[in-house]
Amino acid sequence: MLSSIITISLGAILINNFIFSQFLGCCPFLGCSNKVDTAVGMGLAVVFVMGLASAICWVINEYILVALHLEFLQTLAFILVIAALVQFVEMFLKKMVPSLYAALGIFLPLITTNCAVLGVVLLNVQNNYNFIESLVYGITGGIGFLLAIVLFASVRERVEFAEYPACFRGFSICLVSAALVALAFMGFSGMSIPV
Amino acid sequence: MNKILKLSLVLFLISAIVAGVLGVINNITAPVIDAQRQAKTAAAFASVLKADRFEELEFNNPDFPTVQTVHKAEGVGYVVTSVFSGAQGNITLAVGVDNDYKCTGISVIEHSETSGLGANAASTGEVGVNFRAQFVGQDEGIALANAGGSIDALTGATITSRAITEAVATSIRAVKSLA
Amino acid sequence: MNRKKQFTEGLITNNPVLVQQIGMCATMAITTTLFNGVGMGLSVLIILTCCNVVISAIRKIIPGEIRLAIFVVVIAGFVTIVDLLLQAFVPALSEALGVFIPLIVVNCIIIGRAEAFCQKSPVKDSFFDGIFQGLGYTCVLIVMCVVREFLGAGRFGGGLIDVTNGFRFTLDGTGAGIQIFPESYGMSIMSLPFGGFLTLGFLIAAMQYALKKAEDKKAKRAEEEKKEAEESC
Repeated sequence: MLSSIITISLGAILINNFIFSQFLGCCPFLGCSNKVDTAVGMGLAVVFVMGLASAICWVINEYILVALHLEFLQTLAFILVIAALVQFVEMFLKKMVPSLYAALGIFLPLITTNCAVLGVVLLNVQNNYNFIESLVYGITGGIGFLLAIVLFASVRERVEFAEYPACFRGFSICLVSAALVALAFMGFSGMSIPV
Repeated sequence: MNKILKLSLVLFLISAIVAGVLGVINNITAPVIDAQRQAKTAAAFASVLKADRFEELEFNNPDFPTVQTVHKAEGVGYVVTSVFSGAQGNITLAVGVDNDYKCTGISVIEHSETSGLGANAASTGEVGVNFRAQFVGQDEGIALANAGGSIDALTGATITSRAITEAVATSIRAVKSLA
Repeated sequence: MNRKKQFTEGLITNNPVLVQQIGMCATMAITTTLFNGVGMGLSVLIILTCCNVVISAIRKIIPGEIRLAIFVVVIAGFVTIVDLLLQAFVPALSEALGVFIPLIVVNCIIIGRAEAFCQKSPVKDSFFDGIFQGLGYTCVLIVMCVVREFLGAGRFGGGLIDVTNGFRFTLDGTGAGIQIFPESYGMSIMSLPFGGFLTLGFLIAAMQYALKKAEDKKAKRAEEEKKEAEESC
């Protein structure tokens, strides 16, 4: 059990990083990475929602969809759960933890359409993960996202001072620098996990 | 309160309509998807072992938790299917084993490995065909080149390659355990 | 509304990927063979058109407060239908695209068009908007695939074209494609995530360059016309 958790965590954070090797969650990754502060806020919000969504969707899938042979409704059920969850988390934080809400609030609505969240839930089902494994995969996948977006935000802050052709302005230069960070992350792909 | 009730009713109605339509479509496609899966498994069996008939054997050995099924082709050999974790998710692999406990071929039935890296293990391109051809004629001592064996790993997909190599060795051992 | 204008908007001046810069995850993830690109592009085109029509048709009865939730339900419904049909009739494609088919639900192109266009336009305009925006998306995917497949594996049309027994299209994804140079000479890094980011980055840059040039030309012409008009008086 422990070894499978370590394998899943290392895999999700480094080797199969959600952004740099699976391309899940690229839109918020490029949209919210212009400052390190915003990147940290977005990343933390994603860790939170991904962990919660993994746990709740696992329960729904196992005890409602699979039990009633309604597997074909997975996509529909999961996206509704995620949308409702994000809304609920937003209301809860606003009332109970206003300081955290002030930090994460504006990122929460964006997370509904973050494909990393729906992606992690679908991958949990595809990989037949049990409850603990799903939860770990959700949280560590989010940590992988956090790591990627914070690292990349620092890169972007440097790129602002660089000189490059005018037509690369905007997303274009971001994608090219993201390519180089992805290249660095490829160094992890040969890493072996002692099982 | 009345408004919330009305809103939830609208949302519920639309969800119910969508779910109903999906149910109908699912009824139509489910048998086709099942048939596709079976045809695929049959094609995978035929590609790893040259035989006309495969007969499923009872196999519940707790020493081989990854092995799913063992099929016997009378006088030719066996086909073992196993499910194990690759780099990204589970891989379903069919391994042909002849009566001298040598591998006659492998075929990846299902996988979710990285496109361009681990996914090459299942690809019909030159790289995939060459990778799978290495396994033909190997015995249970099979290992990757960097572990003292003779199998060259796929570029950038050491984890996938090692998982497959180990699964082939396990499959051969599973067949041996039958004797 | 002018169809021709809608067409150029979808394909060029308001292209979903290159100009609006949405729906990039799948664009970078699955564009490794032409088969994947065309398959994904057509799936999105069909889903987008259906969603546009339905959302536009029911736009007057949707309560504003929960419109996003209803959009999502409608989109998820069509995505699941396409997913099931692909699994049943084109299993090779559903396998190659994997989790990216159900993820079309959160593809910002579809929800973006619903929010920006369909909820205030009639059915007919929404239908064409779906077709043209979908075509624009497909074109970008095809360009990405052609570039990455050529550089990465020295191949053209992998999965979609088979030339072993004369030229033919393989719709089941089994064709080996046209090998332009040996696969082992290719820069396989182009078919990895690095190649996805890089190719899209350069594609957007090229698009910005072309649009800027066209705009400059227009501005110049307008200036000349102004000058001429001044001279003539």
